[in-house]
Amino acid sequence: MSLEPYRRLVKLVARAFYDDLLLKGENQTKTGRGDNRGMAVVVLDALTKREWVREEDLAKVLKLHSKQLRRTLRHFEEEKLVSRDHRRESAKGGKTYNAAIAAAGDGQQVVKEGEEKTKMHTHSYCCLDYSQIYDVVRYRMHRMKKKLKDELDNRNTIQEYICPNCERRYSAFDALRLISMKDDSFHCEKCDGELVAESDKLAAEEMGDADDNARRRRREKLKDMLQKIEVQLKPLMDQLSRVKDLPAPEFGSLQEWEAANAKAGRASNGDSDVGDSSKTSQGQGYGGTPMPFLGETKVEVALSGVEVKEEDSKPSAANTSLKVIPPWMIKQGMKLTGEQRGEAKHESMMDNSLELTRPIDDKKPEVDDDEKNIQDAFVKAYYTALAERQREQEGATREMQNEDGHNMMPSIISNGVSAAPSDRRVGMKSKREDDGDDDIEWEEALPSGSTVGTTKLHDLNVQAEESGDDEDEIDWEEG
Amino acid sequence: MFFHIELERNIQLHPRHFGPRLKEKLKQKLMRDVEGTCSGRHGFVVAITHFDDFGKGLIREGTGFVTFPVRYRCVIFRPFKNEVLEAVVTLVNKMGFFAEAGPVQIFVSNHLIPDDMEFQPGDMPNYTTSDKSVKIQKDSEVRLKIIGTRVDATEIFCIGTIKDDFLGVINDPGAAS
Repeated sequence: MSLEPYRRLVKLVARAFYDDLLLKGENQTKTGRGDNRGMAVVVLDALTKREWVREEDLAKVLKLHSKQLRRTLRHFEEEKLVSRDHRRESAKGGKTYNAAIAAAGDGQQVVKEGEEKTKMHTHSYCCLDYSQIYDVVRYRMHRMKKKLKDELDNRNTIQEYICPNCERRYSAFDALRLISMKDDSFHCEKCDGELVAESDKLAAEEMGDADDNARRRRREKLKDMLQKIEVQLKPLMDQLSRVKDLPAPEFGSLQEWEAANAKAGRASNGDSDVGDSSKTSQGQGYGGTPMPFLGETKVEVALSGVEVKEEDSKPSAANTSLKVIPPWMIKQGMKLTGEQRGEAKHESMMDNSLELTRPIDDKKPEVDDDEKNIQDAFVKAYYTALAERQREQEGATREMQNEDGHNMMPSIISNGVSAAPSDRRVGMKSKREDDGDDDIEWEEALPSGSTVGTTKLHDLNVQAEESGDDEDEIDWEEG
Repeated sequence: MFFHIELERNIQLHPRHFGPRLKEKLKQKLMRDVEGTCSGRHGFVVAITHFDDFGKGLIREGTGFVTFPVRYRCVIFRPFKNEVLEAVVTLVNKMGFFAEAGPVQIFVSNHLIPDDMEFQPGDMPNYTTSDKSVKIQKDSEVRLKIIGTRVDATEIFCIGTIKDDFLGVINDPGAAS
């Protein structure tokens, strides 16, 4: 499934258009903690990692008040980014959702304690509607540009002419009456003075009256804004065009999604009925909080596999290990592979593959242990490699010296020898770093909870803020 | 845009036409009176297609003229804002150019001519692109879009633009010769 490009799209959109979204309560005007800017971004980001999710659960994970969250989601629903579903359900009804959530996860079943009550509650669920988001965003961009362009063009659709002598104004509609036989310009009906087009007059005398001046300035501003839109929304446009030919991930309606996932879960569990209350004990070790994003692990892995496949066309040394390696590993690991194509490379590859299987956005503490292990292993490998290399190099130099007996040559040659691979190393390293940076940036931007909410991308941040300004001034029409 | 509509009109006929060919005479008079005129309400009357019927004539006192109420169907041309028309350039000056699309006069001011076209004065004033590939002069055919109409009781005047996609010269007489 082409989920990743769409996720990226949503993230870009969130930062471009909803970064400084301020949702006010209808009647409460507390300004102290009322500043919930950036919350929209967090919510959208969180939603990219989930499929259908119960809003209460989402609120819990994001550590938001459910009312606040609902307000944000309602806004997104109006903006057609999110599809929501509400239904009254008993514990049993909730269970089908849980079953589905569990199936979407790694087949673990997650059940809330409180759900044994048989009371009917209205629960709301929400989900990103990717295909609609694509359309909505495209439409939004189109409207933005159209509005500006229209205003720019309409500025002088009907040209006005002014008689400099008697200040009489004519519009282009009078053109037929104004042409004179003597020359090819327009003449005033009253005083026969030569008329000037209004905008020419403006250009001629810089200090026109305030109204005209304001209009000209407005025009400049519009032009400027249009350019800014082009530049700042370029990443978004690129992402849109990238996504264009990819099928949008479809989760269907809540019921469909539940049914599909429950089925999948049943199949993988070998369990006949998941909805049965007696069989809900499996997942109790998980503390009762559903962790819907667990489900994404699977997808993530598949995706990275796909990416690797795509990158097969690239030089072989660069494959497999892209994307997932932490930065400290990239640099030194590259030195190894570039220098010595023996066991060290092998090992780093193995590390990489280890990393690959690990979900990227999984920021749970247990990862740290593994990371430490890897780190240790790597350090060991690195030192052996370093030692070996030194030995090798010394050997090479000695050999050269013996062979030629020349004093200057060995240094040159050894330089050459070490230079060739190091050259390559540098090139590859930078390339990899690029990829790595890119990836890492994005991974940082994946907040798994409210803690990372304030983390923003540098480039995106700038763009989002400025386009936010634009938004303030223009007041887009939607729908 | 063209319309086919039914209209009514009172025709005054001189008594000398009264006779067996009264209907023919009425028809001729109607055509002379109506075709080619412009009413702000309907637009330009291009042609009468059907001469349906005429009612009872009313003799006017004093003159002997008879007024017949006549119903007829005709083709009407009425320009609309945002309509795209093909027109023939009739006059080029530094303020822009005038063009005619059938009966309607259209003015295209120089602000609505693409920025890369410049006015070239001379005995054959024209607008030419910098690479001289496109030239607008008298008798050029242009496709333009109407951006405004002024409708008076008896005339319609339009302002057009060629500063948009797919607008501009569609046949250049200078290039053919």
